[in-house]
Amino acid sequence: MTPSHKSSSPAIYLDYAATTPVDPRVAELMIECLRPEGAHGNPSSGHTFGTRARSMIEKARQQVAAAIGARPECIIWTSGATESDNLAILGVARFHADRGRHVVTSRTEHKAVVDAFKQLEKEGFEVTWLKPGTDGIVRPEQVREALRPETQLVSLMHVNNETGVIQDVAAIGAICRERGVAFHVDAAQSAGKLPINVEAMNIDLLSLTAHKAYGPKGIGVLYIRRRPPLGLRPISYGGGQETGLRSGTLPTHQIVGMGLAFEIGEREREADVTRLSALRERLLKGLLAIGGVELNGHPTERVAGVLNVCFHNVEGESLRFGLRELAVSSGSACASGSDEASYVLRALGRSDQLAQSSIRFSLGRFTTEDDVDRAIAIVSREVGRLRALAPTSTPTP
Amino acid sequence: MEPEYSSTVVEHFEHPRNGGHFEAGEGVIRGTAGSVAQGTMFVLSAQVAEERIEAVRFEAYGCPHCIAAGSWLSERLVGLSREQLRAWRWRDADQALQFPLEKRGRLLILEDAVRALSEAWTRLIP
Repeated sequence: MTPSHKSSSPAIYLDYAATTPVDPRVAELMIECLRPEGAHGNPSSGHTFGTRARSMIEKARQQVAAAIGARPECIIWTSGATESDNLAILGVARFHADRGRHVVTSRTEHKAVVDAFKQLEKEGFEVTWLKPGTDGIVRPEQVREALRPETQLVSLMHVNNETGVIQDVAAIGAICRERGVAFHVDAAQSAGKLPINVEAMNIDLLSLTAHKAYGPKGIGVLYIRRRPPLGLRPISYGGGQETGLRSGTLPTHQIVGMGLAFEIGEREREADVTRLSALRERLLKGLLAIGGVELNGHPTERVAGVLNVCFHNVEGESLRFGLRELAVSSGSACASGSDEASYVLRALGRSDQLAQSSIRFSLGRFTTEDDVDRAIAIVSREVGRLRALAPTSTPTP
Repeated sequence: MEPEYSSTVVEHFEHPRNGGHFEAGEGVIRGTAGSVAQGTMFVLSAQVAEERIEAVRFEAYGCPHCIAAGSWLSERLVGLSREQLRAWRWRDADQALQFPLEKRGRLLILEDAVRALSEAWTRLIP
């Protein structure tokens, strides 16, 4: 078997929701930390190499904290959003298990959250799986109705990784705070795209990752409310770094990269969002003109760069193979190796067929108008070609 | 992760032969199998004359292997007699296109379409 590439020209990258390239300004700073003359010391060491690295880490902690309206001491470095989600969900639920074993989440969360909750089910917790509407939104009232006296935790993502739909986490946070229930938010897809203020939004735990915000892979953050203390049990043990919640030598270059990426992201957010909104609308208009194309998820409550659409009367695998000049995703890139229909789109009421023939286009900082126009032309060509080959009895709406 | 495809599959997927269908008419037969809801559907139509298949058209809804199989088959069926068409089996396509094991069921749907085509020929008044 020989993998084939349609063209030798590089693919058009429209998969920023899967991961972003590292911003060159970030990469430059990271490289400085790796060199012999750079901040390569172990940040836990007391000598000058160590203290220099420690000081850079603390600056990065302040940068990330500032981007989400938090105090720096509430920031815990992790390996990424998956670890942050696991630490938040398992850590809080297990710590408070003697007070209650009921937890709440939704059916359209990232696998890192879904599978952490499934683990809690195995440990005897009862999970309420909220079903969003066909627009992908979990209404705050659904959360209120799900809460019980013994509920310990609610976990909902800020922005869905497949559809880009935004949840009203501030309203849900207010309900949880009023009822004294810990509220965790996976914000991997919203950092740098939406304003986040953990204090104003009553968020107790917030997961972040650098690699979806023009920082490096392998580094993330869990924000943990410190006042009053939340109560969280670590999921790994060792040298006691990060106040004993996340042991392990801190990777200075990655942390410094995340800090700068978040500082830049926050500083340039409004300009990025304005530009990406225009590009996304251009893309949507071009795709809708093909015909038999529907938007997945809420039409307006969505982040600027993400567009998820389904194509009627086109088989999903052929569509994806036909579109291999485009780097796009079907479902979540994080659920690797699966050709099953997206559970997120199925939860929104899409049929298996339409879920499989859905494509997520996600635009980012380096996407150009020319990229979008070329993408529209390629999609139009392939969808037209595949529909022409399809049995004529299969209707196109 | 998408599956990998053999060069033959890629060639037929990118440049499908004989796509489309013949309108109903004298000497035209048609065989259908599968459904869009199942994820795989084939429609074969052929122009027959003097006990031979003169031309074939295919329509397919399915993965790249299926589209390639429809295209590949449309070339192979030309010139076959009734007996030869009736004897066609999926393994020929499997050998030529290297279907992954988990997709071989889709070739059985193609074989069903060939069988339906053969039966339509039988019903055709000579």
